[in-house]
Amino acid sequence: MITVALPKGALLIDSIRLLQTVGLDFSTFLDSSNRLLQIYDPSHTAKALLVRAQDVPVYVEYGQAQLGIVGYDVLREKKPQVAHLVDLQFGRCRLSIAVKNTSPYRSVLELPPHGRVASKFVYCAREYFNSLDLPVEVVPLYGSVELGPITGMSEAIVDLVSTGRTLRDNGLIEIETLFESTARLIAHPLSYRLNTGNLSNLVEQVRSSSLSVV
Amino acid sequence: MVYQPPAGARDLLPLDVAQKCWIEERLQQVFDRWGYHRIITSTLERLDTLMAGGAIQRSAVIQLQDAQEELGLRPELTASIARTAVTRMAGSTYPQRLYYHANVFSRTKGSSLNRQQEFYQSGIELLGSSGFLADAEVLLVLAECLNQLGLSDWCLVLGEAGIARSLLSTFPEAIQDQVRQAIAHLDRVTIDTLPLSPELQERARIMLDLRGRPTDVLQQVGSLELDFPQKEALNHLKSLILLLDEYYSVSASKSTAKFPLILDLSLLQTIDYYTGIVFEVVSNTNMQPQILGRGGRYDQLLELYHPQRVKIPGIGFMLNIEDLHQVLLANNQLPQAIPANNWLVVPQTPQAYAAAFSYAEKLRNSVHLVRVEIDLGGRDPLEIREYARRRCIQQIAWIKTTGSPIIEPVTAEHVAPYIDI
Repeated sequence: MITVALPKGALLIDSIRLLQTVGLDFSTFLDSSNRLLQIYDPSHTAKALLVRAQDVPVYVEYGQAQLGIVGYDVLREKKPQVAHLVDLQFGRCRLSIAVKNTSPYRSVLELPPHGRVASKFVYCAREYFNSLDLPVEVVPLYGSVELGPITGMSEAIVDLVSTGRTLRDNGLIEIETLFESTARLIAHPLSYRLNTGNLSNLVEQVRSSSLSVV
Repeated sequence: MVYQPPAGARDLLPLDVAQKCWIEERLQQVFDRWGYHRIITSTLERLDTLMAGGAIQRSAVIQLQDAQEELGLRPELTASIARTAVTRMAGSTYPQRLYYHANVFSRTKGSSLNRQQEFYQSGIELLGSSGFLADAEVLLVLAECLNQLGLSDWCLVLGEAGIARSLLSTFPEAIQDQVRQAIAHLDRVTIDTLPLSPELQERARIMLDLRGRPTDVLQQVGSLELDFPQKEALNHLKSLILLLDEYYSVSASKSTAKFPLILDLSLLQTIDYYTGIVFEVVSNTNMQPQILGRGGRYDQLLELYHPQRVKIPGIGFMLNIEDLHQVLLANNQLPQAIPANNWLVVPQTPQAYAAAFSYAEKLRNSVHLVRVEIDLGGRDPLEIREYARRRCIQQIAWIKTTGSPIIEPVTAEHVAPYIDI
């Protein structure tokens, strides 16, 4: 039986909707009274795991789930050894650098050398500033990253932006985009090579279904 | 203070060793029967030896401080065997059939905490023969190893580095490496976004999914435009698969009618190390596929080590003992306990010590293995009997001052042939 790792949070609804179009119903996860972390499709043809987005590629890389749905941002940050099969086109957002709108900085290169940048995306941030040869200290945070510049702990943040409302409401502005992100269908490479449980068939169904939605 | 092993290191206790030996003995029997000879190379190698083939990165080697030369712990055996085969063994005739059981070391980069650093591998190298007959021999040795271990649910994922490389050569040079990386990592999303003509994009997509039943895949490849060397490599591959199937159909001892094979021409390495067939052995129990070993043909490796750069073909495989161990443990095929001793010889007085040793020696001098331990004193008969019962020792020999033994079978409530410790 194929196991799919699904991300809690923003991508969950679209992920479940997409799998419904190929005949797999995991909508129990959307039921607010549900506390189960592992459920079966009513037809018992597949199983789903509900995990944090960052953990989706972990379950897939170790082969406990043959498939997973996760944002490209997580794949860029964690660089797991998984097969990137389909760009699902939903969950569009961007990883951006933002500063306080009252700050003098309007481009990345104006940031002070050895300044501080707060982020949940430590590797992406470090890689980006290294590529600019701009020495900054990346401060890891796990949430409410906007407070970094507001409290004065950091000059800037590197964070995901979808509508930009959180930034605006907190008096921050974007000055640069690192990359765009969408949800991706990923697979355990070895299971994909072996075509475990006729995985390729399911992948093709998801591919054509996601193309027809766009 | 408590002295701890280094992170990622591991000690093998007697039961672990018994299980590891169980695996290695079975593999060794196969290697011996196919006429292979064991070679033991140095655990320590010069870094340039290890890296000469191009497949090993400096960062993956555990390096040693040494003033004179850069040394590292071997991460695999093929480099060492290639080095010694063309130097110290240079006078020998080919083909050379060699095997090894050895520990290897690898340094894992990145975030993984306490990841294993020392591993055990067994494998073979068949040096000096090209051609599909040699390929077939190596694959059949591999299949027999797995059968000897009682593994049934396995398959071979077989690629061909030469064909894959030449299929890649039709892509524009500037992005060839990107295409190769994407195919090797099964990154379809990147393939879809590379700046390629529609025809080449389609070709890249076909290459990424060029796997499945050999007949289907061969037909698919045949439909692609191929030049002469590609056609030749393809024919070579066809002959190999045909031979394996033919052998399986005539060999009565085979449990399956076909060699369990998935042909996968997207199985390419990101470096040019392998030159012909390249393969992974995969166990596929309970939908949890696991790689047990890998190998391939490396016809350009030995010349790198040869003083006169003489070209000598080679092919080999290695099996990861830990991964085999894990799969076999789940199947309950390994010894579950270390063997119990057969005898406990107890000198009853200090005057009987010499007689006890001599009686124990007599017991040990048997055609079959007899395990005899001496009681080292400090216990009364009741405690001795209790000890023997707990350790599942079958018989006690009480040695009197006169030297004569009284033999007492251990009447345990639960005598088992094996003990738990």
